[in-house]
Amino acid sequence: MIGWIRRLLASSERLLRVSAVLTIVALGLMVWSMVVPTVWPVMVAMSIGQALGTSAFVLYLVVVARDLRARRREGGE
Amino acid sequence: MRSDPFLIAALVTTLGALVLIGWFLLRRPAQTRTTKIVLLFGIGVLPLFTAANGNVAGYHATKTRQFCGGCHVMTPYKDDSENPASKGLAARHARNAMFGEENCYACHADYGMFGTVTTKMGGMRHVYEYALHYHQLSLDEALPKIHIRKPFPNATCMRCHSTENPLWNAVGDHASSLQEIRAGTTSCASVGCHGAAHPFSNEIHERQRMTP
Repeated sequence: MIGWIRRLLASSERLLRVSAVLTIVALGLMVWSMVVPTVWPVMVAMSIGQALGTSAFVLYLVVVARDLRARRREGGE
Repeated sequence: MRSDPFLIAALVTTLGALVLIGWFLLRRPAQTRTTKIVLLFGIGVLPLFTAANGNVAGYHATKTRQFCGGCHVMTPYKDDSENPASKGLAARHARNAMFGEENCYACHADYGMFGTVTTKMGGMRHVYEYALHYHQLSLDEALPKIHIRKPFPNATCMRCHSTENPLWNAVGDHASSLQEIRAGTTSCASVGCHGAAHPFSNEIHERQRMTP
């Protein structure tokens, strides 16, 4: 598991792909809750859906921050 | 499908996000600045709009009677509210357009500055109780165990029935017990007054009380 996370974090492209897939799942849950506004879809969307969407965006921000840092380092050298 | 503007807005932003994410996943573009900006919209901005619309739509959905009756132990309460022949307070208020589809919420919500928050926290408690204690029970087993958590406050009734109206005060029982009603020491929903909000539930509890 830890090895898998390390491999994931090592590749920006892989991170972005995971982030994209998580976003699709989160969007699916959110739309499901709006099309079928009953107890479980709404609960799942407002908890798991939101968590997945936020995680996806955090992964994206990690990639952007890493790129910016690398670019700054290149500029400094 | 419902024609909720929040739903339509959410579908549009979702579709936009899916197009952008699909482009990234299928085309596998180089990680240039343009790609990152496209993904900012696909993963960040557009899903944020979907989530915001989803939250508002979800919030509205949680106020409906359909939602409250979604758990099987609440079905008789929902059915009673919807029954045009029912003379219970809940049913009579549900027939009022001001309450309509949101009659459970209108009466059971807390009011005041943080009323929405405390109501939603109470709702989460219901979900917790249902998932852990009531989900596996049959209706016959569950109904005698369901009680309102704290006495129904007259203040909720008084949001509409202000107790200031001359017509209201012209009713002898209202005038004679005005102070008790305002203080909440005599419930509007007591048996000698307007009766239970959900009469069938009272009958079940009464039977249970009489059973040795």
